[in-house]
Amino acid sequence: MSQLPPGFRITRETNTEEFFINMGPQHPSTHGALRLALRMEGETIIELVPHFGYIHRGIEKQAESMSYLQYIALSDRQDYLTAIQNNLGVVIALEKGMNIGVPEKQEYIRVMLQELGRIASHLVFFGCFGGDLGGQTCLLFGFKEREMIHDILEEVTGSRLTTNYFRPGGSRFDVPDTFIPRVKAFVDHLEGAMSDYERFLSKNIIVLDRSVGIGILSKEDAIAYGCSGPVLRASGVNFDVRRANPYSIYDQMDFEVPVAYNGDCYDRYKVRIAEIHESMKILRQCIDKFPKEGAWRAKEKPVRLPVGRYYSEIETAKGLYATYVVAATTGEKPYRIHTRGPSFPHIAALNKMVQGHKISDLVTILATLDPVIPEIDR
Amino acid sequence: MFVPSITNPVGDFVRELVPQLAAFLPASLQSDTLNSIVAFLVNALICVIAVCIVNIGSAPILIYMERKVCAHVQCRLGPMRLGWHGTIQTIADVLKMLFKEVYAPSGADKLMFYLAPLIVLIAPFIVCALIPFGRNLVVADVSMGIPLIIAVNGFGVLGILLGGWSSNNKYSLLGALRSGAQMISYEISFAMILLFVVMISGSTNLMSITLGQEGTIFDWWIFKVPVLGIIAFILFFISSTAEMNRAPFDIAEAEQELTGGYHTEYNGTPFAMFYLAEYIALVTNSSLAVTCFLGGFYAPCIGISFIDQYLNMVPGVIWFFAKVFFMIWCYMMVRWTFVRPRVDQLMDFEWKFLLPVNLVLLVAGAAFIAISG
Amino acid sequence: MGIINFAPKILDPIPGGKYVVNAIDYVVNWARANSIWPLTYGTSCCAIEMMSSSMARYDIARFGSEVFRSSPRQADLFILAGTITRRMAPAIQMLWEQIPGPKYVIAMGACTISGGPFIYDNYSVVRGAQNLIPVDVFVPGCPPRPEALFHGLLTLRDKILKETCRNPWHEGEPRDVSTMDRYREAANTWAALERMKDEEMAEARAKFKEENPDYKSSFKPVRIKKEEFPEVERIPCKRFGLTQAELFNKLRAKFPNVTVHTHSEDPIEDVVAQMPADRPLEVMVTPEDYLPIVEFVKNDAEFKMDYLIEVTAIDYDDHFDMVTQLRSMDHGHKIFLCLQLKKDFSIEEDKRATSILATAPSISHLYPAAEFKEREVYDMFGIGFDGHPDLRRIFLDKDFVGFPLRKDFTHPEMIRRPV
Repeated sequence: MSQLPPGFRITRETNTEEFFINMGPQHPSTHGALRLALRMEGETIIELVPHFGYIHRGIEKQAESMSYLQYIALSDRQDYLTAIQNNLGVVIALEKGMNIGVPEKQEYIRVMLQELGRIASHLVFFGCFGGDLGGQTCLLFGFKEREMIHDILEEVTGSRLTTNYFRPGGSRFDVPDTFIPRVKAFVDHLEGAMSDYERFLSKNIIVLDRSVGIGILSKEDAIAYGCSGPVLRASGVNFDVRRANPYSIYDQMDFEVPVAYNGDCYDRYKVRIAEIHESMKILRQCIDKFPKEGAWRAKEKPVRLPVGRYYSEIETAKGLYATYVVAATTGEKPYRIHTRGPSFPHIAALNKMVQGHKISDLVTILATLDPVIPEIDR
Repeated sequence: MFVPSITNPVGDFVRELVPQLAAFLPASLQSDTLNSIVAFLVNALICVIAVCIVNIGSAPILIYMERKVCAHVQCRLGPMRLGWHGTIQTIADVLKMLFKEVYAPSGADKLMFYLAPLIVLIAPFIVCALIPFGRNLVVADVSMGIPLIIAVNGFGVLGILLGGWSSNNKYSLLGALRSGAQMISYEISFAMILLFVVMISGSTNLMSITLGQEGTIFDWWIFKVPVLGIIAFILFFISSTAEMNRAPFDIAEAEQELTGGYHTEYNGTPFAMFYLAEYIALVTNSSLAVTCFLGGFYAPCIGISFIDQYLNMVPGVIWFFAKVFFMIWCYMMVRWTFVRPRVDQLMDFEWKFLLPVNLVLLVAGAAFIAISG
Repeated sequence: MGIINFAPKILDPIPGGKYVVNAIDYVVNWARANSIWPLTYGTSCCAIEMMSSSMARYDIARFGSEVFRSSPRQADLFILAGTITRRMAPAIQMLWEQIPGPKYVIAMGACTISGGPFIYDNYSVVRGAQNLIPVDVFVPGCPPRPEALFHGLLTLRDKILKETCRNPWHEGEPRDVSTMDRYREAANTWAALERMKDEEMAEARAKFKEENPDYKSSFKPVRIKKEEFPEVERIPCKRFGLTQAELFNKLRAKFPNVTVHTHSEDPIEDVVAQMPADRPLEVMVTPEDYLPIVEFVKNDAEFKMDYLIEVTAIDYDDHFDMVTQLRSMDHGHKIFLCLQLKKDFSIEEDKRATSILATAPSISHLYPAAEFKEREVYDMFGIGFDGHPDLRRIFLDKDFVGFPLRKDFTHPEMIRRPV
């Protein structure tokens, strides 16, 4: 067995039907430039070795010569599906360092944009899940509603995808007057649309066959591999940073953390769909409580962090997004910024999940992990 | 001396015409053998042209239709810019593919690589020649029509297997093997349902199967045999979808898994042939469904003579193609609605569900014939 | 080579043949221009906008381009959506070579045009796709909107309509990955142009002043009253589980050597007591204590740190700080173990940049998650791990020289950000 390519570890007798296959970096279902080396016996996967780095852009090295504010723009480009959430993760760390808070109105803006970003990301998941199972139509349905979120984001932040919106103590602009009515209209629309879409996938017999009992991640493994977000919650762990360590005003919001206990693909799908509904619930509460008066940002301060190490964690749509800022000198530039993206551990756990499954199941499992590769490679 | 001949109405007309024309030739050249050979060649030419027109002519229309149906299912518009509502979009596609660079990947078996798309095209072309499009519009009116179709359909899987194997690509090989397993399995239930039709119609000739459905809509085989006909039609629909490698049973192509399956390495004209074969197979399978279940070229009369006389005024060939396009539309709606099962689930479905149901259906059909006499 | 390229060679010598060639050109170009099938390829943000452009709202199908092919053999158009890294570059060149001609390339987004936000201090991003393969159309934006991509597509359409088979589509070869000189040249040209503009403007201003000595601008700046924003106090995020003081005291009872990472000079107990609720406890541990402490906090019922958030490191002049961030799923408290690793300066100075300077014990047998994280630390800092099952580079090529996140890292392709 000495001829095994690097990374493969399972040792057993080779037989003639065993062969290696290479998925990616250009492959329609690896969600970007991810390369998976597969060791297969017929159509059954024996072992999987992920190869990263095809989109390693050296963001952390670059951050060392950038100012804190410039880094917020780079955080957009890590997990571009939840750019607005990444912004908040960085900004909370900076606010901890600068020791400033934000006014109430800004907190509501933050929570609402967070939830919109979460819905947008989960809609992409919904589309990709259906699309990777072979139902191309799903892909378009997911993206259709997502465009409406982009309209709102564009109106608020000026950009569709890479928002670069939050700042320590506030945000770049105030929200326009049309923000609340538009969010309200969107939530009302999504309520109906989601029931349609769920009818499309949730009870579909082929979807059930393809996803129930596939890619089971046990509770112990999920914790050991450091999974987070919907993947962890689908394995039966009730962990959501919004509840476990509430930031912003999530402790005032009434929502539930959906948890499923089988840890298979279908549970991960159901958890995400349930999360869309919970997000809608939070949005409705925010719409009701949104303060009409009041400042939308705190008094501006130069973004200079005192010497120290600052850590923030938030719950993005994919999971735990932690920012670790090291300021060695008091100034505008970080000594080091490290971000912990949620997708990296998920791909690390992939080998555990796919063993013994077919190559079609790998596609399903990868879709339900919902990884974003630039966030892994950074 | 044995002289081959084609038995169809057009053939009779040519056979009558050729001796009349031969009379103008010098007497030394006139002979019955020569006449029949010329008649055969002219007939063959006409038939080939007719089949090509039906097949190759319908493919661009179908591709356009597929793109539009797909687009409207997905809340889009589809091709809009080229011609009125993008009607000539496919012509541009076909032209472009013809003028595209063609090459075989290194390590490929070149002969087999270029042969495979041609072999895939054989089956739908031969099947098309057997279909009665109208009362007098059939290329080859052979008495063993259904067995011939069952036999010829095996060609398709041969081409796909060859194509996948000769491209020297692991994805292609996987796709080809999947396709081989799938098509050979579903061929069995496909053949069984055709046998059911043969059993209840009492003929293997497609023309006489069609003629047996004359009358109202309730004389069609789908309704003539109560319940069993509808079950057989649904089973035929499923197994022919699998037979054609169309979504949701497109595990051989499986873009999300195998980046294109057996045709991953094909480009330009050979790829266009695979593309063409897929759509011609769509026409032939729909035609087969229409011939065997939906009354062929007969109008959908409902038994009220006032309406029926107007329905019957429309030529049979138009009814035939209307039904064919309805069937194609059904295939397309299914394609863009369902997700794809896994390869082992597909096999399970065939061997553990479809085949037993088929056998039961055959027995039930026999019982029905015995009871109704 | 399509067969069409032989047409001019055969037809042009024949009298009147050139009109036939012109007609062929017209028809073929019409077909090619209106049926552009893109390749399914995308690396980052632009890929999502590319996907959006084929979705219901924007619908690239209107232009006949919705047939995204996964196999390069069937594609016509290579939309370079997303940043190109040095590791991805060979794959891109190979994909481009696999597309049969005529093939077209759209460079979508700032990253593929010039490197975009990743120009400075970057060792891995290729500064512009044109350095790898010939590009037909550039679509700027970060990321470009789907409308911008459509404009790029229509621009490409116009370009194709002007082609002729007498002079086939391209004669380019894939270029060398080394881009530095080309980039510097472009930067110099740009700077010279800017200087020229400044000089011209100064001249024009002086001339204007000479001609109109009495000219006074009627423009008066309007002052907008600046909005008053309040100062807001920060409310620390909520925290569950043990407090930092409890954690620290319990840890210290077991391991007397541990201290707390702090920059103030107060006694450690005061520092721990004054920590805000949402500040994780950051404990300094010695290399000998590291593995026992990790084992202890993982298995102890009161700590129960079963969840590894991250393993990362910080490079200082003479040591690395390796930070292991742990969290308890059941209790909700966090603890950061900061392991100070002295750099091994016995290595010759010119070899330091490329050799492993410190070694830490691996915790991948306790936390499977640590396996990939430790590979990342090894890749970025050159910290070795004892007992790691598979210590290879993870993000960079195995022949990459140096460890990028060290402060003294240099790379020939790296440009310093101008201050």
